Amino acid sequence: MKNDIEKNELVASVDSFADVNADYYREAFEKIQQSERVALTWNSMAAIFGPLWGAIRGLWGYFWIFLILEMFALVQIGRGLWGELGADKIARYERLLANIAKREQQAAELQAAGDVAAATDKLNIANNLKKAAETTLLEAEAATQQATSVLIFGLILFVAIKLMEGLYANHAYERQYLRWRSNPRLQTGLSRANAIWGIVLIICILPLTLIRYTVAKADELLSGLTGGFLGQTIPITEFPVKREYFSPLAALGDQGFDWLASRFGNVFDGITYSIRTVLDGIEVLLIGTPWPVVMVVIVVAALRLAGVRVAIFTAASLAYLSMMGLWEISMITVALIGTGAFLCVLFGIPLGIWFGKSQRAYRTAEPVLDFMQTMPAFVYLIPIIAFFGTGKPPGVLATLIFAMPPVIRLTALGIRGVPEATKEAAIAFGCSRRQLMMNVEIPLAMPSIMTGINQTILMSLSMVVIASLIGAEGLGALILESLQYAAKGQGLLGGLAILFCAMVIDRIAQGAYRKK
Amino acid sequence: MTKSKTNDVIVLEHVWKIFGDDDKVAMQAVQKLGLSKNDVLKEFNCVVGIADCSFSVKRGEVFCIMGLSGSGKSTLVRHLNRLIEPTAGKIHVLGRDILGMNDAELRAIRAKEIGMVFQHMALLPHRTVRDNVGFPLQIRGASKAIRWETSQKCLDMVDLSGYEDRFPNELSGGMQQRVGLARALASDPEVLLMDEPFSALDPLIRRQLQDQFMQLSQQLQKTTVFITHDLDEAIRIGDRIAIMKDGRIVQIGTPEEIVTKPVDDYVRDFVEGISKLKLVYAHSIMVPLAKFKPPRGQTLNNAPRAHHGVSLDELIDISVKSDKPVVIQNDKGKDVGVVDKPTLLKGIQGGKA
Repeated sequence: MKNDIEKNELVASVDSFADVNADYYREAFEKIQQSERVALTWNSMAAIFGPLWGAIRGLWGYFWIFLILEMFALVQIGRGLWGELGADKIARYERLLANIAKREQQAAELQAAGDVAAATDKLNIANNLKKAAETTLLEAEAATQQATSVLIFGLILFVAIKLMEGLYANHAYERQYLRWRSNPRLQTGLSRANAIWGIVLIICILPLTLIRYTVAKADELLSGLTGGFLGQTIPITEFPVKREYFSPLAALGDQGFDWLASRFGNVFDGITYSIRTVLDGIEVLLIGTPWPVVMVVIVVAALRLAGVRVAIFTAASLAYLSMMGLWEISMITVALIGTGAFLCVLFGIPLGIWFGKSQRAYRTAEPVLDFMQTMPAFVYLIPIIAFFGTGKPPGVLATLIFAMPPVIRLTALGIRGVPEATKEAAIAFGCSRRQLMMNVEIPLAMPSIMTGINQTILMSLSMVVIASLIGAEGLGALILESLQYAAKGQGLLGGLAILFCAMVIDRIAQGAYRKK
Repeated sequence: MTKSKTNDVIVLEHVWKIFGDDDKVAMQAVQKLGLSKNDVLKEFNCVVGIADCSFSVKRGEVFCIMGLSGSGKSTLVRHLNRLIEPTAGKIHVLGRDILGMNDAELRAIRAKEIGMVFQHMALLPHRTVRDNVGFPLQIRGASKAIRWETSQKCLDMVDLSGYEDRFPNELSGGMQQRVGLARALASDPEVLLMDEPFSALDPLIRRQLQDQFMQLSQQLQKTTVFITHDLDEAIRIGDRIAIMKDGRIVQIGTPEEIVTKPVDDYVRDFVEGISKLKLVYAHSIMVPLAKFKPPRGQTLNNAPRAHHGVSLDELIDISVKSDKPVVIQNDKGKDVGVVDKPTLLKGIQGGKA
């Protein structure tokens, strides 16, 4: 009894889903649902109307798949029936004939002028061209003969697609039925609006595509058919807009940048100056200090902060840099990275804390951060040069743009990840906002912030070569030079030097944090 | 500081908390029209967290607030140190109007007078146990020496000396919660707020910590508001219990009152499974001396005597040693009532006389 009731409910639900031809679909669905393997069901309506059936029943996946397949088959049929298969070859053959005629005429003129050697040359060229023309003619004939086989292939494909449509339709519709059961807002029965929409889509897509692929001079044919509207006024083989809008806009952009550069020159100079100050400080420290002192300090720091193994690795890396004669430019590079990373941290951590606390600020900043990270470096190198000129400070700026987002993001992530309960406890013991930040939020976000700093350092390193494009010296410039002169060995050695710098900095930083 | 003349350390009057964007409007509507919780949700899209709660806690008292999850008990306790702002009502702690305080005053009273213990401990993972306990003092700007001395003292109180230099994640849950308790005691506050402090612990450790807390409580005499969802715990620990349901306080009373005189079915359901042996006292089941008719040939002369405040548990011990009924005496040692064996059995059965 109960089973019967459930079955009746099922029947009623298929009825209200399929609406038209419900009896047929009830049987088909039952067959599909009872079969243990893939059930064979045939839907003539779907086979006849193809994609349109899908549109009317609200199966848009079915519509698109079979529209594309049918279109492919129809294109083959069209090519076989009326397509000029050898058309391009014949055109080439005609061009060749014209060329031969021209050469022969030139030869005749030269002969008349008495220059026999030059005339023979021209005749030789003409003979070679004749051979090429013959081959092309043969190819053209072969292509024309293919027409029948293309037609047969197209017909077979079309029939096969129709079979697939009929066989697959009920399965697709049954799945749609199951989706409808959990989401009753889906379409039931037939939809007049979807039918119209489907027809419009087919009309828009099918004829143009067919003409484009089966007629050699599609634009001419179309302009003949539509009285010059399509094909001539609006060509379909290429988009009718060239650079009409692009060029003036680009010129406008140039003017804008020039205006900004002259109007805010002082500001940009100020930024350049402050970056140069930091940079010079670090550079003097690393290069001005005698190299043995710097090396000992770095190795000892590695030993104290990150342990013996990192210290040995550091010593080996430093030995490599100095024995290759790259000590000074390595230190220049480290100063560049150091400045970049220092400025990233200086601005990135406060920004990160702000974004971590204010959801709204973060939402506003998110697209900017995405922009900074995904925009290719070359794009912002151009305005950087316009505003800041070339040299190291602009190189640092380019590094900032690329390397700052991770420290901002990870700081914000860390701040947001501080458990509410811990913050609440601190507030309950009378913390002010500042105390909360210094004693609870920043310490608890520290692992995340450290990861961010590490990421920033490594990303700065990857910018070294790009920064050298705008005149930042160092290992990057070495690599750039090897690229220009295809100096493979120099490139490899320089690349290794960058790698060692990166690994040393990374290992020491990580070791230092882990130890803490 | 002006302490209140009365003995009431915490006083809540008609406190409401409505969560939502239109809380003020909803509040007015509730007060004027007396809407139900569901009406408020439907009409204003606001949730009533606390509805018209009033109670007072005396100095040194342990006041338990009991309720199921979602009943608003944790929300209510956060009003006492204004971690949550009430929508309406008055709150006085130590005679001072908590709601009228500015930020600095509020921080000061939180740091000095109100200690809090949390269900999930909420210790700072990057600080040692000693620095965690000293944290409230650090916020007040105490020197390191004072902080360390105080945290040593507080850790001794909770039997955790020797763990000062450990980090919280090196301790078990029970030990972490003892650190939480020590931290709450560090600034020697008048008031202790305990938000389900033992709920996340396993039953054995919970029992131990309850015992330890009761001992400390007796010794330190802190005014305590203790949140729990466990009636057994409330009865063990509380001097008085408030039972909450849907943001309202359903009943306030001593454990005995709650168990013997539940006001409605909701409370009755709770107390059903509670053993009455240690909660019901002789005076509430005894038959007055005047009404007691001794069986023929018996007198009460040699009958055992007991104070009227002994529990049924003790009464059983006294009763089994003698054939005679137990005579109950008042504070002055005068015989006032009798408990014979049928009366005692009935009392054990239902707490009814």
